Amino acid sequence: MMPQPMFAPPHPRFRSRREFLRQAGQGFGLLALAGLLEQTAEAVIQPMAPRPPHFHPRARAVIWLFMNGGPSQVDTWDHKPELARRDGQELPGFDPTTGFFVNQVGPLMKSPFRFRQHGQSGAWVSEIFPNLARHVDKMAFLYSCWTDSNNHSPALFKINTGMSRMGFPCLGSWVTYGLGTETQNLPAFVVMYDTLGRGLPKGNASNWGAGFLPGIFQGTALKPQGAPIDDLERSPELTDRLQRAQLDLLGRLNRRGLEAAPGEAELEARIETFELAYRMQLAAPEAIDLSREPASVHRLYGLDQPKCAHFGRQCLIARRLVERGVRFVQIYSGGMENQLSWDGHIDIAGNHRGFAEETDLPIAGLLTDLEARGLLESTLVIWGGEFGRLPVSQKSAKPGRDHNPHAFTVWLAGGGVKGGTQYGETDEIGFKAVVDRVSVHDLHATILHLLGMDHKRLTYRYNGRDFRLTDVSGNVIQAILA
Amino acid sequence: MMAIRCRVGIALAAIILWSVTVWRPVGAAEPVVGPDHGAKMARGLELFKRAVRPVLTQHCLGCHGEKATEAGLDLGDREGLLRGGESGPAVVVGRGKDSLLVKLISHARTPKMPRGGEKLPADAIAAIATWIDLGAPYDGPLLSRKSDASAWTRRVVPEEARRHWAFRPLQQVVPPEVRHPEWCRTPIDRFILARLEAAGLQPNPAVDRAVLVRRAYFDLIGLPPSPEELEAALAADEADWYEQLLDRLLQSPHHGERWGRHWLDLARFAESHGFEHDYDRPTAYPYRDFVIQALNDDLPFDTFVRWQIAGDEYAPDNGLALKATGFLAAGVHSTQITKKEVEKHRYDELDDIVSTIGTAMLGLTIGCARCHDHKYDPIPQADYYRLVAAFTTTVRSELDVPDPHGYAQALALFEREHRPLVEALRRYEAEQLPKKRAVLVDAWNKKPDRGRWAAIDALLPTGFKLSAVVQWQQTLDPEWQKLAKRVAEHRSRAPKPGHVKALISSENVPPLRLHTQGEDFLKETHYLRRGDPAQKEGVATPGFLQVLTRAADAEQRWRQVPGPKTRTSLHRRALAEWLTDVEAGAGPLLARVIVNRLWQHHLGRGLVATPSDFGSRGEPPSHPELLDWLAAELIRHGWRLKPLHRLIMTSAVYQQSSQIDPRKQAVDRDNRLWWRRPKTRLEAEIIRDNLLAVSGQLDRTLYGPGTLDPRSVRRSIYFTVKRSQLLPMMQVFDAPDALQGMGERPTTTIAPQALMLLNNPQVRAAAHRFARRIAPTDDVDTARIVEAGYVTALGRRPRADERAEAQAFIEHQTAGHRAAGHHDSRLLAVADFCQVLMCLNEFVYLE
Repeated sequence: MMPQPMFAPPHPRFRSRREFLRQAGQGFGLLALAGLLEQTAEAVIQPMAPRPPHFHPRARAVIWLFMNGGPSQVDTWDHKPELARRDGQELPGFDPTTGFFVNQVGPLMKSPFRFRQHGQSGAWVSEIFPNLARHVDKMAFLYSCWTDSNNHSPALFKINTGMSRMGFPCLGSWVTYGLGTETQNLPAFVVMYDTLGRGLPKGNASNWGAGFLPGIFQGTALKPQGAPIDDLERSPELTDRLQRAQLDLLGRLNRRGLEAAPGEAELEARIETFELAYRMQLAAPEAIDLSREPASVHRLYGLDQPKCAHFGRQCLIARRLVERGVRFVQIYSGGMENQLSWDGHIDIAGNHRGFAEETDLPIAGLLTDLEARGLLESTLVIWGGEFGRLPVSQKSAKPGRDHNPHAFTVWLAGGGVKGGTQYGETDEIGFKAVVDRVSVHDLHATILHLLGMDHKRLTYRYNGRDFRLTDVSGNVIQAILA
Repeated sequence: MMAIRCRVGIALAAIILWSVTVWRPVGAAEPVVGPDHGAKMARGLELFKRAVRPVLTQHCLGCHGEKATEAGLDLGDREGLLRGGESGPAVVVGRGKDSLLVKLISHARTPKMPRGGEKLPADAIAAIATWIDLGAPYDGPLLSRKSDASAWTRRVVPEEARRHWAFRPLQQVVPPEVRHPEWCRTPIDRFILARLEAAGLQPNPAVDRAVLVRRAYFDLIGLPPSPEELEAALAADEADWYEQLLDRLLQSPHHGERWGRHWLDLARFAESHGFEHDYDRPTAYPYRDFVIQALNDDLPFDTFVRWQIAGDEYAPDNGLALKATGFLAAGVHSTQITKKEVEKHRYDELDDIVSTIGTAMLGLTIGCARCHDHKYDPIPQADYYRLVAAFTTTVRSELDVPDPHGYAQALALFEREHRPLVEALRRYEAEQLPKKRAVLVDAWNKKPDRGRWAAIDALLPTGFKLSAVVQWQQTLDPEWQKLAKRVAEHRSRAPKPGHVKALISSENVPPLRLHTQGEDFLKETHYLRRGDPAQKEGVATPGFLQVLTRAADAEQRWRQVPGPKTRTSLHRRALAEWLTDVEAGAGPLLARVIVNRLWQHHLGRGLVATPSDFGSRGEPPSHPELLDWLAAELIRHGWRLKPLHRLIMTSAVYQQSSQIDPRKQAVDRDNRLWWRRPKTRLEAEIIRDNLLAVSGQLDRTLYGPGTLDPRSVRRSIYFTVKRSQLLPMMQVFDAPDALQGMGERPTTTIAPQALMLLNNPQVRAAAHRFARRIAPTDDVDTARIVEAGYVTALGRRPRADERAEAQAFIEHQTAGHRAAGHHDSRLLAVADFCQVLMCLNEFVYLE
C-alpha cells in the first residue's frame, strides 16, 4: 500500500491531469483504466488506489444521510415565526404550478411543530429532533439551498449528479474517481436504502450511477435482503481449502501465460484481482456484521427500538465501513415517494414526525460515536433531501405540503466544517432562498473542497469534453469551513 | 421564412453568380480555398483596413447596418455581407467584378449605390473589387451589436472550418509503395507497412492457424469454434481455407448478434424508460432485432442509417424499416413530467436524439452546441436547433409491424404467458366455484326468503333456473371476476397475426403516453438562448450542419415536399438524405466513422482513437490515407459492411501476433503504427456467451423477446436491458448503462469480476455442465479430460507442464471433495478444474 497520502502535507501542483494520475499510479499493481488516459501505456494504474487530492483535505470520508422525498425546511430547521403569524392567509401571486399538484394549493400553513433554540450557537430545531438538537454545535446549516426541478427524479439526479437529466456521474462516483479508496477489500462507495420494503428512491440506481465514468466508480448498493453484495459467498460445494487450491492453480497457469507473453500489464493486474476477491470474501461480511458491536453501541444507535432500528443499523454499518477505509457512504431514509418517504403531501405532521422518529436517534448516535472515536474530524456527515416543501398547505383532510425547489435546508458536520454555523436565509415565510443562495453546484464544490479537491480541476474527458461535477459553475462556501 | 432565407444565404457563401437577372444558387460546391488562401486573406485584410473600411463606414453603413438594414443587407460584419439581402448575396467571394455589390456601386446595375449620393471614386470601387477577389476579410465587426440579440441564430460557418481533416471530401488515395511487398496480403497492408518501414520497424509474425481461427470466430460471431470446427479448420488444405472460413462466419446468423451489440451500445439501446418509474418497454426489442437482422442481411450501411432516422418515411410498409426507427425512441424518457417541465423535457428528449445521431453516426459531439456555439468544432448553436427542428413532431408510438417470423415468436411467448392465466381461471372454476355454488344451491333449496327468490324465479324460464343461477353466481364472484379480467386483458395484447408490436418513432401517430401533464410534442422548435426554453429566439426550421454541406441547393437536393396523403413532414428523410450524401452532404464523414469502428473492433483501437469524436478535440487518424481508402472501399461496395470485414481480416496487419517486443515498443510505445495486433478483452456478453458455449448450454435461438432471468442460456444480447436493473454480470464487465451512446467501452480489471467468476451460481453451473461434457462417465482418463478441457475452452492442447499441473489438481480436488463427504467427488473436481479454465486470462483475452 502507498504511504498514507490523505493527510500528507499539500502536494505540489501537477502539471497536468496525466501527470497527476501517473504519479498517483506509481508503485501499484498495474491496472489499465481505459478512458482515464485514452488507453495509453500511462493508463496502467490501479483505478481504486488512493490518490492524493489537489490540496490538504479536511475530510477523508463522507457519510451522506439522504432524507428522501424532500423534507420540509420550515418544519425541521428553518424556523419561521412569520409563517405562524400568517397562518391561514392566502399567499398572493403564488404560482400554482410551483409544486406538483396544481389543483390542491391551500393557504399558508404554520409548522405543526414547536421550535426551540439549542446549543451555544442557538440554532432553532423542531421538536421532532430531540436527540439531534444536542448536536447543533457540530453542524453548519445551509438554509438557502435551491434546486432546478419540482419533480422527484430530476431533483434527485440534480442533487446527486449536478444535472437534472439522467446519466451523469454522481458525487460519490466523482469522489472515488478523484481519490480512490483506502481499502481494497471493500467497495469504495456504498449505498444503503430502505430495508422495510418501501422501495428505492425514484430513478433507482441512477442516483448512485457512475454515468460516463468507468463503471467501477458506481455505488455498490447493499441489498436489504439476502447476501448484501453479489457473489460474496463461496459455492457450498467448495471449502476454503478447495477454493484456495483453485486460486493457486489459476495463479500458476496465469503467470506461466504471462511469461510466454510478457509486458501485458492488464493481464498481470488481473492475476492480482483474484487474490483481492479472495480477501473481500472475508472482509465484507466482517464489516457489516453488527454482532461484533457491544450492546451499548447498539443502544446508542437505537437498535433496541423498533421504530428506528432499521436506520440505526445502517448508520452503524456506515461507521464500520468508514472506519475500514471506505470513501463514501450514502444512506436513504424512506422509500420511493409519498407516505413511504419524507414526501409529505398529506399529513405533514404525521409524516415528518414518523420519519424523524426513524432517524433522529440513529443520526445522533452516529455523530456521538464518530466523535468519540476521533473519526468525526475526518468524516464529513451530510444531511438533506432533494428539495424542500412549500409554506402553503396542500389541501387534504390532514394537510400536507407540496414540493418546493426554491428553498431547502442541508446541514454538514464533521471533517473540516465549522460547527455551529448558520449560513444563508430564506424569505420570512421560508418560501424562497434569498440571502447567500446556495446552488447544488455550490454544495458540491464545497464538499469536494473539504475532501481536498478543486471542483474545477476534477474533470473527465468524455465525448470530446472535459466534464465536471459542477458543470460550469459552483462556488465553495467559505463561511462554513473550519 | 427568415430562417430559410438565411440558410440559403449561408449555402451561397462560396457560390458563383450564374445570372445577372436572377440570383440563384448553382452546384459549384468547391469552396474558394486555394493553397494561397492565407496569403490572400492577409493582403485582403490590409486592403480592408486601408481602403475599404473607410468607404464602407462613410458611405454604406448608415443604411446597411447602423440605422437600418435596407433591403435586408447588413454590412456591419462579414457574416452580413456574405448573407446578403433580399437580392441575394452581396458578394461572390473571389470574384469582385461579378459581385452584386460592385455592380451596384459601379452603377452597372440598379439601384445605383450609394443611393442618392455621388458615385464612389474609381479607386475606391477598384479597391472593393480587389478586396472581394482576395476573400473579403473583415478585421472585426464595424458596429458593436448589442441590439441584435438574434444574430447567433444566423451564424455562418467560415470556409476555413471545412479544412479540418474530417470535414473534407474523401481523398483519392493510392496505396503507397513499400520495400517488402511480399508481406502485404491486401492494399491495407501497404499503408501500414510503409509507415512501419519509415520508422524502421518490422511487423510481428503471423499467428498460427489455431489462433487465427479462434480470432476469426470471436471477431465475427463472438463464439468459440467447437473442437470439431477447430479440427476441420486445422485440417483444411485449400489455399483459400481462411477466406472460406471468413465467408462461412459472415454468413452465420450469429454475426449480427456479435456486431449488433456494438451498434446497440452506440444507440443507447434499452427496454425501459428510465427516470423515476423505469417502466418496461416490452415492444422495444424489435429494434434490437432490426439491428441484428440488418447486419446479417448486409443491409447497406447508408440504408441502415436512413431507416433508423426515417424508415417510416422511406418504406412505410416495410416492417424492418419501421422497426429501425426504434433508434430514435431508444433514449430515456421521463414518465412523470410536471406542467412546468413539459417544454424542458421535450427539448431534453430531442437533444438525446440529435446528440446520439451526432456521436454514433458522425462522430461529432453535436450536443455540445445546445447552449452555445460548439467550443471546439464549427457547429454553431443555430445549426444544432435546425437539426433538432427535423424531429419537432416526431413521437414514440407502438405499431403492429409486419413480421411473420417475429409473430411466431411473439405468439409463442404470448401463449406461454397466457396459459397460466387461463389455467388459473379454469382451476378456480373447477375447484373453488363448486364449493361456493354448493352453498348457494343449498340456500336455493332452503329458500329462506321466499319473496326475493320467488321474484327471481319468475324471471327465469323453467328448467334453466339452477344453471342460470350458477352462471349468475359465477359472474358475481369477485375472485372469478379478477381472474377472468386478467385473462381478457392479456388476450387483448395478443400479437396481431403476421405482425409484432414494435416501439417506433413517427409523426401523426398516437403517442405513447405516460404521466405527462401536457403535450407530447411542441408545435415548433425554437432557437433557445443558452439552451433555456424561457429564452426563445425565433422558430428554427429544419436544416443541416453547414460544415458538412457542400451543396449550393441543399434544400432542393434533400428536401421533399409531402404530398396530400403523406402522414409525415419528410423532414427526417431530408436529414437522412443529407447524412448519407457522399457528394454534397455528410456522407464522407459517415463512411469514415463506420469504417473506423470496424477497424477498432477488429484491431483493438480505431485508426481514429476517439471513435465517437472526429472533431478537433478528438485524436487525428494515425493513418489518414488508409481511413479514406477504406471509406472509399465501403462506398464502392455499395456501403455493404461484410466485404470490409473480409478485407480487414484478410490483411497481414490483422493476422499479426500480439506479442509485445520491447525493441519495437521503444520506437512506438503505443503501437500507433500497428506492429502488433493487441490482445483484446472480450466484452461482458461474449464472456458469458463463451461460458455457455464451452459448457454446452448455449441456446442458439435467434431474435424475439428477451428476459431478465440471469439463468437464461440464450446469448447475452437477448437479455432485456432494463435501465434500473442492469444485470450484474454484464455490468461488472463494463457493459454500458444505456443512458448515453458509447463508442468504446472501458476495460476495467477489478476484484468484483473475479468474485463473479469464482462464486456466481451461473458460473458454477456452467463449470458443472462443462465437467459433464468432458467427463461424461467416471472412467474417463484424467489426461483426456485435461486435453478436452483445454481444446474446448481455449482452442489449443495443453503444454506438458500445464497437463501435469491440471492432472495433479484434479486428483487433489477429488481427494478433497471425498474428504468433505461429497458423493461425486471426481466430477466436482473436474468442475473445479473447468472453472479454473474459465477464470484464465486466456479465456477472457483474445490473442
